[in-house]
Amino acid sequence: MRKLLFALLLASPTLTFAQGSQVNTQGIRALGMSGAGSALFVDETSIFYNPGALSKMENNAISIGASAVMYRSAFKELDSDVQHNTKFQVTPPFSVFATFGPKNSWWKAGIGVYTPFGGAVDWGTEWPGRYELNHLSMRAIYIQPTLSFKLTENFGIGGGFVYNLGSVDLSRSIPVFDQHGNAGRAELSGVGKGMGFNVGVHYNLEEDFAISLSYRSKVNTKLEDGDAVFTVPAALGTSFPNTKFSAELPLPSSFNLGITFPMGEKLDLAADATLIGYSIYKELVFDYENNTPVLTDTRQPKKYENAFSGKVGLNYEATDKLDLRMGAGYVYTPVRGQYVYAETPDNNRIMGSVGFTYNLSEKFDLSGAYTFQRIMERTVKNVETQLQGTYKTNIHAPGISLTYKW
Amino acid sequence: MKTFQKNIKLYCGLAAIALMASCKPEITREFQPAQNANVDFSKYIAVGNSLTAGFADGGLYLEGQNVAFPNLVAEKMKTHGGGTFNTPFFSEAQSNGSGYYRLKALVNGQPQLEWVSDKSALNNGVLTKFEGTEINNLGIPGMRLDHSGVGLVSAGNMYFARLLPSSEVGTKSYQDFVDNRNHTFFSFWLGNNDVLGYATNGAVNDNPAGTTVLTNEQTFRAVYTQFIGKLTANGQKGVVGTIPDVTTIPFFTTVTRKALLDAASAASGQTITNLFIATKTNPSRPATDNDLFALPFSSSGLLGNTTGSPAPYGLHPDRPIEDKYVLDTEEAAAIKTHIGKLNAIIKEIANSKNLAVADANAMLTKLKTGINYNGVGVSSAFITGNAFSLDGIHLTPMGNAIMANLVIDAINSKYGTKLEKVDATDFRGVKLP
Repeated sequence: MRKLLFALLLASPTLTFAQGSQVNTQGIRALGMSGAGSALFVDETSIFYNPGALSKMENNAISIGASAVMYRSAFKELDSDVQHNTKFQVTPPFSVFATFGPKNSWWKAGIGVYTPFGGAVDWGTEWPGRYELNHLSMRAIYIQPTLSFKLTENFGIGGGFVYNLGSVDLSRSIPVFDQHGNAGRAELSGVGKGMGFNVGVHYNLEEDFAISLSYRSKVNTKLEDGDAVFTVPAALGTSFPNTKFSAELPLPSSFNLGITFPMGEKLDLAADATLIGYSIYKELVFDYENNTPVLTDTRQPKKYENAFSGKVGLNYEATDKLDLRMGAGYVYTPVRGQYVYAETPDNNRIMGSVGFTYNLSEKFDLSGAYTFQRIMERTVKNVETQLQGTYKTNIHAPGISLTYKW
Repeated sequence: MKTFQKNIKLYCGLAAIALMASCKPEITREFQPAQNANVDFSKYIAVGNSLTAGFADGGLYLEGQNVAFPNLVAEKMKTHGGGTFNTPFFSEAQSNGSGYYRLKALVNGQPQLEWVSDKSALNNGVLTKFEGTEINNLGIPGMRLDHSGVGLVSAGNMYFARLLPSSEVGTKSYQDFVDNRNHTFFSFWLGNNDVLGYATNGAVNDNPAGTTVLTNEQTFRAVYTQFIGKLTANGQKGVVGTIPDVTTIPFFTTVTRKALLDAASAASGQTITNLFIATKTNPSRPATDNDLFALPFSSSGLLGNTTGSPAPYGLHPDRPIEDKYVLDTEEAAAIKTHIGKLNAIIKEIANSKNLAVADANAMLTKLKTGINYNGVGVSSAFITGNAFSLDGIHLTPMGNAIMANLVIDAINSKYGTKLEKVDATDFRGVKLP
């Protein structure tokens, strides 16, 4: 008579994806102006910023760029004075852009490979939000073949097809304890695929004033056959079987308006405004292949709102070989307070940048940029985990790119 | 351009310095000790029973002592002028103290417990005497408020006897033991056993040592007033705890009528639809879902037993489950009402002495439905709820941390202090095999 029904009602791990952490480092020239310059720069990076401008390139070029994004967040739980920091980590977004086609023609083709979304946070296993997240790193790589046409001498139009390869790797603690009192752990990793497009028009008056309109579609990234690995006490082995999972992550669209005009003989101003369609990110669903009474599919509310960013920058032609740049920007967050998760402790952010391009020779350009972003301090209470406290984040991102023209 | 190239190292160096300096963000919101808080934490003493001592899993052992809620609170007092807080710890060699229950296995989802008895401090029912410095954690497992002024009690309580010189065992009362310690601040959480002893015995008072008596309001008020009077004799401040509604703890909520019927049906191979219980007013009646069964009953081996009688125990009207294993509907309601009255007395006396009140009763009521603590489901569910240890009455380390936060919140809101909260995610729930 030792029978006693005993249902394990452990909370299923609801797992999270980073959505935000968008640090645009695709074009190092634009990076030096905090991301402004979609109307100003007519070069191979237009494949990303505005395919409509591509056909206005006189020559062909290939460029390779890389940056080192250092994303550091801090957290202080409410009613506590202990600050927890994410571990120092560098994520290296890269970009390759190449153009093809006859010189001074009415068309131009190109291909871009770049990482518009990505980030890595590692809070570790010793912080108050460990049951929400230990670590996460995710990256989306967009591959975009592009065609661009000049309708008139001043008016260019272009578009590209986007194929996305996304990868994600995350872990969090589970509140089940072994004989040493250590908590269990869930680790998930996988690769997803998605498709979208990128279109734009570019118009300029004489050599001076230019306007750019571009639209990047949302890319619904589907992750299938991801691996879910659980570290739990032996008695719970059958409750938490290692299994496969699938999930769907919509990456947002963005609609961008850019203008540029001269401020002086050697000084140009560029400004960009972007509406980011984050409101498609309503929830994150994890579908486990093997469900058990404790390992059920999860549905985590995100309820993002559309976001907006404004950027302005100056380009100064210091010598005939050297351009110097600076810029600043402001981004309104898509994340509402109660939906802030440790994966992306987002808030409105300010940013400032400096950069340069130096002509090494007729054929080679070297560009460098440095951007600093501050995600403002924000005190929130998460609707799901009830984790309550203050987040703050600094992002440093130096970048460099080399362009070969012919 | 030459100068730029020449200076590029300098620029890189400057950038690197700027990077390191500003890389890690500093959160400006602070939670610092209030300057004007008029509380002296320099000598804090914790007065109470097993919950104050750190009792868990049916025993008192070193790991539980380390995470007793007063110890966690004392740690947070250090930034507010708190002094050392000594606890009568068991030695490493005898770290398992009285012994305790361990979860050996889950068989078909059912917990199998075993008693851990190595590294014991017990010898013929006597615990090795504690020899050490003056202690601050004065919690005595089993201590009742109504017994706190009785010297004889220390002879019958091995935890109390452990802390007294042999000459005082059987003569020194708990109140005298606590008195004259020149404390500046205290926590006081007594009264649970004045209800719990009666309730866990199925509301049957059959122990000649007086451990199963339900303390009446009159006695409770008188002794509470007397004890608090001593602790506040020099105007000391403190915090008191209310008595949790014992009918919400896993000891009474885990073994349900349905679970017993299912188990009896499975064991006998036929569908059994009724359990029979003896109550104070009815020698035998069918049990309902509102009757609460004590946790140990499930492993007692009694249900369905036919030893000494042809009628299976508890399954036949002629042989009902004894009153002491069941807190029936009427008894549970009466106890709940009584706890409400005692808590009203506690709050009244605390208010008259300007003491903080940690409302453990309100907290346990919340745990009955469950709370989400930083992503951890915490409830009064047995084992999976993370809050209660394997005896179904006392707290896990995580439960102690949550209790410490309740006490800290009560102190902060009463006295305007800013004691920091304990990070309860640092503490475990029940250990699983």
